[in-house]
Amino acid sequence: MLDSLKDVIRKSSIHVCLINTGGCNGCDIEVVALLSPRYDLEQYGIYVHNNPREADVLLITGPVTEQWKENLRRIYTKTPEPKIVVTLGSCPVSGDVFNQEGGCVYAPVSDFIPVDAEVPGCPPRPSEILESILSVAPGAIATKGRQRK
Amino acid sequence: MSSVIWYLYEFAKKAWIDKFTTAKSEKEIMDKPDRFRDFPQVTKENCISCGACTAACPTPSAIKLIRNTDATINEILTFPEIDNSICIRCGFCSEVCPSIPKTITCGENHEITEEFQIIPTEIKYVIDDYLCIRCKKCTKVCPVDAIEEQDNKLRINQKKCINCGKCTKVCPVKGSLKIIYVNNVEEQKQVIKLITNTLESVVEENEYQFKDLDKNSIFRMQIPIKPLKDKCLEIINMEDLVQDLLEKMIDRLNLRVITWDMDKCNNCRLCVAECPSSAITYNKNDGVQRDIDKCLRCSICYQTCPFYVVKFYNVRFLIEDDVILITVQSSQLSRS
Amino acid sequence: MIVPIGPIHPALKEPARLKLKTKGERVISAEIDLGFVHRGIERIMEGKPWQKGIYLSERVCGICSYVHTQTFAETFEKISGVQAPLRAQYLRVITNELDRIQSHLLANSTFFKSVEHETLFMYMLKMREPIMDAIELLTGNRVNMGWNIVGGVRMDAKDEHLQKIHEIILKLEKEFDTYYGMYAEGPFLRLRSNKVGRMSKKEAIEGRAVGPIGRGSGIKKDYRKSHHTYKDNFDFKVIWRKDGDNFARNMNRFDEIPESIKILKQAIENIPSGDTRIPVEIGRGYGEWINEAPRGEVRYMVETNGNLIKNISIRTPSIMNIDCCARYMLNDAMTVSDAIATYASVDPCIACAERVIVTNEKNEKIKIYL
Repeated sequence: MLDSLKDVIRKSSIHVCLINTGGCNGCDIEVVALLSPRYDLEQYGIYVHNNPREADVLLITGPVTEQWKENLRRIYTKTPEPKIVVTLGSCPVSGDVFNQEGGCVYAPVSDFIPVDAEVPGCPPRPSEILESILSVAPGAIATKGRQRK
Repeated sequence: MSSVIWYLYEFAKKAWIDKFTTAKSEKEIMDKPDRFRDFPQVTKENCISCGACTAACPTPSAIKLIRNTDATINEILTFPEIDNSICIRCGFCSEVCPSIPKTITCGENHEITEEFQIIPTEIKYVIDDYLCIRCKKCTKVCPVDAIEEQDNKLRINQKKCINCGKCTKVCPVKGSLKIIYVNNVEEQKQVIKLITNTLESVVEENEYQFKDLDKNSIFRMQIPIKPLKDKCLEIINMEDLVQDLLEKMIDRLNLRVITWDMDKCNNCRLCVAECPSSAITYNKNDGVQRDIDKCLRCSICYQTCPFYVVKFYNVRFLIEDDVILITVQSSQLSRS
Repeated sequence: MIVPIGPIHPALKEPARLKLKTKGERVISAEIDLGFVHRGIERIMEGKPWQKGIYLSERVCGICSYVHTQTFAETFEKISGVQAPLRAQYLRVITNELDRIQSHLLANSTFFKSVEHETLFMYMLKMREPIMDAIELLTGNRVNMGWNIVGGVRMDAKDEHLQKIHEIILKLEKEFDTYYGMYAEGPFLRLRSNKVGRMSKKEAIEGRAVGPIGRGSGIKKDYRKSHHTYKDNFDFKVIWRKDGDNFARNMNRFDEIPESIKILKQAIENIPSGDTRIPVEIGRGYGEWINEAPRGEVRYMVETNGNLIKNISIRTPSIMNIDCCARYMLNDAMTVSDAIATYASVDPCIACAERVIVTNEKNEKIKIYL
């Protein structure tokens, strides 16, 4: 009874922290576009706060640059449980065009912190982000919340 | 109080509660427009396995050419596979795809016409007209008809060429179809320098063995190719290119070796004035000195020296399997 | 006391660290730390064919990605001694102005978010979405468009697309007046932005402020006036103000939107027919090109050997504007919350700015910013 109540609450109130680990900014503004009245992320109970200390979902955009190697782990440890990590765009998965000779990136993100879901595209459309976050985030958070006990 | 009642009345509507529990964006918002450039679609059957898409892709490894080894299909297919997690959806691969109809399609794109040279090249194919025997085997095998005949000469139209390399495989004359790597010219120069320097030093080390060589006899020796190749691979890490360079360089290399027997020198200083690059100098303490770095190996000193101090040899090289065969022959030049 | 803000902070959308030195509630001086998004993009471009370089230049910055590809293409066209066909030039103008409108709306929306005026934030984003639709309709993608190429543009626009864009613009024009009024005459927003974060004209010249930020302080410079397409075919005026505060900067961006709409209308009306792309034999040598990005001037300096990029240097506007913000605007004795609003009013684009070489004049050592 308590578990199912917790599940409902966890599913309907998700706080997102957006971390730009060195991307080109394209994915970030698509997330800002998601906040707009047209897509209206908040009607699903998802709030983008940019505060890792109260986040349930870490949304990571960008290949990992020199400065983020340590900081990303620190942010991850400071996020309370249960938490899931979703990567946005192709940079965090593969490094994209930056992962070539001469580039100064340390992709993928999964080398540093565990990743639960990926949204491909450079950058993904807001509707694609919305679809994949909705299909992954609520369920994953609920199951993770049960596991921790 | 009235406001509380108003709120309750407003939010207690059934439609509102329904929307609250099952929020959903409208379908037309979620739909992609017609002109949207989505991930590329691959039609496996059309592929001519030229590799133009992999060469053109701006990302390092989004497109890979893979071979279908499925036993149920009789024909073995080669086709590009696109990794969605790296693809940036630029649609460039579909633009450069030369097959008709296109193997890769990606949204609505500019229809590419012949006059656009689009594939970013690292390799260029050039026909050496001097060696070409005009058998026209390459024109038949070329998938995009890039090899044209003009004034009874075959030449490759660089604007059409997709760098598939099929022409080199059928060409019966070695060296007639040349591959030029345009990307790392500086490194190639270094490799060529390294090859000549090492071979020269090897010959100079073994100088004592052929010091008293007759005019008519030849001296043979051999060295393994492996250490030289490893050194080259440190500079350019491309197996094909290094092998290609080694073969071309060593087959053509014709070294001239000049030896000096200082015991016989009488300090006549005839050679000092003759040397075109002023590599030979004289001062009182050291006598006649030759600067190896400046020396052009022109053999003028050999021809002028009256005391047989200077000796001159021709050295030729040949690659056979894993060894380099070295042949030393005394010079046939006449002496004044 | 020093108040650190960022790199992950509710008020910032990109990673940068603000160090505000405060006395009581007032900010005395500030320092902005960059370097979180350095990817070495110029170094990656070196030795690559231009066809790949154009897709890399697009990813210098996500918000003004279009103008980077245009400048890249025009630099190569200058080196090769050709000009794109007139229809392609017109299509470039249309996309550039659409991009400018969406960038200005986004910049103002972040300012309203930072002064906690959620309503206008939402209105701005609501206005922005149809513009993004228009861009997607024309180029095939919302952000990184992949639409320019040396010698023209990749896809031709059909008449129905241009008609649709015209409708979207007319609708925007109607909507725009209401929201413009809300900001220009709203008393509370004026209180938060008027006479906050001032920068005089002298300071702006000293700090090399460009774009709407420089024009907000009285520098009447717009590189569109010297661009060949704009100069010959379009009639528009340069917006500038002399106050140099947050209000002036935001109003500048607002006022540029009707000018962009004016240009768009002219472009859609007079667009010629013909080719959209010509084959280009890439020349050898060195070339330079300046364009007016939404945030100011963007300059490309390219050296090529016919096919490959030998050397490239990109100068983006954000680095000068961020420097001006740290040096002059944040010293204007404001509260901490105003400091964040001032920082947002500069429209900082960190992804643009991160290709910097810091030189130390004293001991003549060059340190490459990582």
